[in-house]
Amino acid sequence: MPTVKLYANLRKLAGTKELSITGPTLGAVVNVLVRQNPALDGVVLENGQIRPHVVITVNGHNAVDLDASVTEQDVIAIFPPIAGG
Amino acid sequence: MNGWNGKILEIDLTTQSHKSYPLDMEMARQFIGGRGLGTRLLWDMVGPEVDPLSPENVLIFTNGPLTGTGYQTSNRFSVTTKSPLTGTVLDANSGGFWGMQFKRTGYDVMIVRGKAEKPVWIEIKNGDVTFHDASELWGMRVFALTEKLGQDNNKRNVLCIGPAGENLSRMAAIMNDRERAAARGGPGAVMGSKNLKAIVVEGRERPVIEDKERFKFMLYETRKLLAASPLTSQALPEFGTVVLMNIMNNIGALATRNHQQTQFEGAEAISGEELTEKYLVKNAACWACPIGCTRISKTEKVEGEGPEFESTWAFGAQCGIDDLPAIIEANMLCNDLGLDTISVGSTIACAMELSEKGFMDSDLRFGRADQLAPVIEAIAARKDIGSDLADGSLRLATKYNHPELSMSAKGMEMPAYDPRGLQGQGLLYATSNRGGCHMRGNMVGLEVLGLPKLIDRFQVQGKSSFVILNQNSNAAIDSLVVCKFTNMGVADEYFARVLSAVTGIQYATTDMIKVGERVWNLERLYNNREGFTAKDDTLPPRLLTEAPVDGPSKGWVSNLEPMLKEYYRTRGWDENGVPTQKKLIELGLAELV
Repeated sequence: MPTVKLYANLRKLAGTKELSITGPTLGAVVNVLVRQNPALDGVVLENGQIRPHVVITVNGHNAVDLDASVTEQDVIAIFPPIAGG
Repeated sequence: MNGWNGKILEIDLTTQSHKSYPLDMEMARQFIGGRGLGTRLLWDMVGPEVDPLSPENVLIFTNGPLTGTGYQTSNRFSVTTKSPLTGTVLDANSGGFWGMQFKRTGYDVMIVRGKAEKPVWIEIKNGDVTFHDASELWGMRVFALTEKLGQDNNKRNVLCIGPAGENLSRMAAIMNDRERAAARGGPGAVMGSKNLKAIVVEGRERPVIEDKERFKFMLYETRKLLAASPLTSQALPEFGTVVLMNIMNNIGALATRNHQQTQFEGAEAISGEELTEKYLVKNAACWACPIGCTRISKTEKVEGEGPEFESTWAFGAQCGIDDLPAIIEANMLCNDLGLDTISVGSTIACAMELSEKGFMDSDLRFGRADQLAPVIEAIAARKDIGSDLADGSLRLATKYNHPELSMSAKGMEMPAYDPRGLQGQGLLYATSNRGGCHMRGNMVGLEVLGLPKLIDRFQVQGKSSFVILNQNSNAAIDSLVVCKFTNMGVADEYFARVLSAVTGIQYATTDMIKVGERVWNLERLYNNREGFTAKDDTLPPRLLTEAPVDGPSKGWVSNLEPMLKEYYRTRGWDENGVPTQKKLIELGLAELV
């Protein structure tokens, strides 16, 4: 199963830093994540799309296509809107 | 024209005299204030014959037409000088309260020239200037001195140097309001070279606003915009800037162990999440700032402001250290001694690599948290190993015959973002007029965070236009002067409207960007006059030739050359990186050269 890592306030909302979730595509994994953790509803996805300023990476590369396939070895990282410098 | 006070204060430390005269309002219209106005004044005052640490160099403190108006984050000031670290033009700006209070003294600009025979401190109270003997204060650290001179956030504000500035460390900061810093490029050493320990300001004057009703509405609207942005209303207040640690590590662009790697196995232990959970006491904010990104942190030994992301990275990943309390303490020690955390951390990392490879005889090693505090103390005192490190990584690495191990651009240590994983950021460092710096522009928003829109971080072609727009926008914001974080909720065009309401001059968005471009080109002209050429627009060889062997940036080096060619062309410069006559005419700078 792909590993999903959560950061910043997503950890508090989901009550965990890391989960394993099965799904054929990135979108499927994220949808399961949200279903399992209702506190993330509207925080990660908005109208079925990645919410503005939310960053999702797959193996360290920015992901923009929720239809992209994911494999068991993939690491999906999800960051809420963050900034700094 | 309102907003500006219309007055310059000039202080001569050699004769301990001062005078005031009108600000050239046409110059103010073109360069606004802060960094822009400071650079324009420096152009006339300090030429290539001047050593940065000689009495002939000047410190130019500037505020802007928005400063002190109560507009969100209108608390900042700039200090412009010739940098003792890089030899380039230097502008460093700082938040807190001092900038607002300086505006209340009735001046837009304070020029400090010459050198006092003995240590002095200056008090400016409602426009009157008094010179005080600072012999007994010489040697004092920043926190104790700030308290002794009567810091009172909204009434009386202290700006000073610590021992590092007195000992002319080229990494010395000018500190204000205890823990805010105009840090980069060594302005504290310039102040120390003048025997000037502190400048205390107290004032009652309030800036006159041209269109009060319109301005009031904009205050309301800006409050709403900042509250509506998840970046300024949640991300920055909740986790501070250190929240970037995990994402930069995740994408393989977190410079580690003097840029030998691009990922740090200890990133989680020094992350914003860890800081918030275990060491955060509360948030704090600068004057008129609703964002409140400042952390008040506490360890068993210390409690105070910080650390920011860059400081945490510099003493953390860059030195291979995952001990967050030690990093918090190192950051606070730098504040107390008056040192730039980015340059100090990266210089220690450079010394660690030189030592591990046997090029330098010292016991400094990556991962040794216990070595941070003693080395920082030694740097500020310029003693023992500190005498080697006090002037930055390039001079250190050059002394030991390995200048390539200094992770700097134009002699200034680069921040956390590794250019091999962020092509645009590399171009930005290489072309930055004050050297390796992320505050002259920052591509992380575009290349990683999708702010305002995500672009491919490895793409090279077409990157220069984004970098240039970013640099010009930052130069304009630094000239207002407001905090760049407001720009995460408030668009550039909004600043033009606020500036128009305050001054009565109608600035369009394009005028603001033009101001930024004018400032950038003048800084470039200044550096060219100092002898800098296209060959100085480069990065350390490691970043151009050594690709990471693992992680998401595996196989990438900074592909600088094609980006530079495109950059010069897009800027309207010739192939040698010199602004063309046509460009200078367009920007109203032709008469200067």
